[in-house]
Amino acid sequence: MKIFGAEQERTLGSLYGAEAAEVYSALLRSLSVVLEEEVAPLSLALDEGKEGISRPRRVLFDQGLCKLPHPAEFGGMDIPFGVYALAMELAGAADASTAMSLGIHNTVADAVSRFGSPEQKKRFLPALLSGKKLAAFALTEPTSGSDARAMHTTAAREGRHYVIEGSKMFITNAGEADLYLVFAATGDGHGAFLVEGTNPGLKVGKPLKEKLGMRASHTAEVRLAKCKVPEDSLLGKEGAGFEQAKQLLDSSRIVMGMICVGIARVAYAEALAYAKGRDLFGKKLSDMQLTREKVANAAMETNASRLLCMHAARLKESGKPYSSEAAQGKVLATESAARTCDAAIQLLGGYGYTSADVHRHWRDARLLTIGEGASEVLRLLIASQELEKEP
Amino acid sequence: MNIVVLVKSAVDEAELKADQSGHPVLKGAATKMSAFDMNGVEEAVKLKEKNGGTVIVLTLGGPEAKKAIKEAMAMGGTKAVHVLAEAADAPDSLGTAYCLAQAIKRIGAVDLVVSSEGASDTYQGEVGAMVAEFLDLPFIAYAKKVETDGVKVRCEQGLRGTVRVLEARLPAVVSVVSEANVPRYPTLLQVMVAGKKAIEDVPIASLKGPDYPDTGTVVVDVSVQSASRKRVIFDGTPEEAARKLAGALKQEGVL
Repeated sequence: MKIFGAEQERTLGSLYGAEAAEVYSALLRSLSVVLEEEVAPLSLALDEGKEGISRPRRVLFDQGLCKLPHPAEFGGMDIPFGVYALAMELAGAADASTAMSLGIHNTVADAVSRFGSPEQKKRFLPALLSGKKLAAFALTEPTSGSDARAMHTTAAREGRHYVIEGSKMFITNAGEADLYLVFAATGDGHGAFLVEGTNPGLKVGKPLKEKLGMRASHTAEVRLAKCKVPEDSLLGKEGAGFEQAKQLLDSSRIVMGMICVGIARVAYAEALAYAKGRDLFGKKLSDMQLTREKVANAAMETNASRLLCMHAARLKESGKPYSSEAAQGKVLATESAARTCDAAIQLLGGYGYTSADVHRHWRDARLLTIGEGASEVLRLLIASQELEKEP
Repeated sequence: MNIVVLVKSAVDEAELKADQSGHPVLKGAATKMSAFDMNGVEEAVKLKEKNGGTVIVLTLGGPEAKKAIKEAMAMGGTKAVHVLAEAADAPDSLGTAYCLAQAIKRIGAVDLVVSSEGASDTYQGEVGAMVAEFLDLPFIAYAKKVETDGVKVRCEQGLRGTVRVLEARLPAVVSVVSEANVPRYPTLLQVMVAGKKAIEDVPIASLKGPDYPDTGTVVVDVSVQSASRKRVIFDGTPEEAARKLAGALKQEGVL
């Protein structure tokens, strides 16, 4: 499958105009060559645990994928967020686990870029954007996920330090990360803290190996016991942590939605190729009316998902509110990707059910209807914003 | 040292489709830098990195060739010259080589011209040698290793299990094979910077002198080769069919 093709080029043209689209197309075309040659061929082995994620992640760090949306002043490229989101679609098509690991990592870079002090930006951003340091986003807890405000982890001030106590769950990049963005309740709200992976008070639990999908990315519990961090580890102001998390997740939901667009495209392409070649009842499988319904649905939902996520991205770029649109894009993209991948398994029949190269796409997509805001909670968010509107 | 690398914008064969009559649909077909030219660019950039100097990307083609030029620039080209020729004015290999040679003369002090072994779409493999002829320079073909001390160029050619080492004084023209190197992937930053670099456009008409060769070679037709298959079906039990298949393969000389 051509990872960057005419469809993505047209999307860029319609959103950014011909001149800018030419520049961005060149970037994404170049990235797609690396994805097709160096990442996609590893994807099955990554799912099967025969290949480690650090190799494809290093390739994409070296390419500069994580630099795209960040300020040039700190080693970024100042490329519009939507172009980065499209790049993450391509990465998702090449390998979902690698894309997700990098997407989460870049959410932490986004946090430093948006809320960090000049010293924090100088200290962490260049290393995060080049991949010299890997980051993890630690918000979810064993008993709080989408209801993040109910977190039990605390950060108590002790002189010129904070002492963090608690536990974080389902943390992507845990165990590999050099830097953890840990959210904790402070006296009058929440705070976000940059905690080094080498901090003796931070311990990583056993990797959660029984995951359904996204098997190459590392997921584990992170325990914080008497985890003492200097006061300048606090990102922004004390009490602002929950608002920061909300803003970061709005962005991240667009990225997760686009990764799912990439996953759906691969599953759809594989099923389509099979349906065109499979003979039955004197016809091709692709000639059957019920197959065509699946094909049409997959095409519609994949394109609609991309456009809704990109609409949210463009709103973000122009400084307008985009929280609801990001949630809508994520719900549509993740749920429709799961439907498309399920249809792909159905079309491939026994081969779909027994081949990891087919069903891993469904397993990968399935996570993202839960992570970064479960579909149910995002629907509540969307509905509450709709109900606030004047009729 | 100043190195000119010859680059062609070729049809992206991975995206090429044939129409009902078996003719490739060339109008509007996707293009990219010829795959073999990536080896040429890589070699030129490696030589620049080792010896200093510049790499000038030179191409002849229509406006779509800008894409190939930018790909070469992202890999490390210093500057670019685009001999602009619309499809109607596109010359054959000899005319192309003449125009490229004229453009190289205009560039001035050039120490080395690097080409690839051929274009990935037409694979004529003539232009490098012809450019050398028009410039009256020594030519070394099919190099798998290229080294220079700034005075001469030393190349290795692989010849059916043996290696032949050739030297030529500079300036010279060298064509490299794809075994010569592994082309680098430009980073996204390099792609972005390359997209902003100026490209010098040279209209093809401005290069054609009275000595412009008119060989009159024209492409009469391009069609997809049809592969004929024997479509033999071996029946019987799996063991019998396998025996028959093995026998047939032996008869064909495959086994």
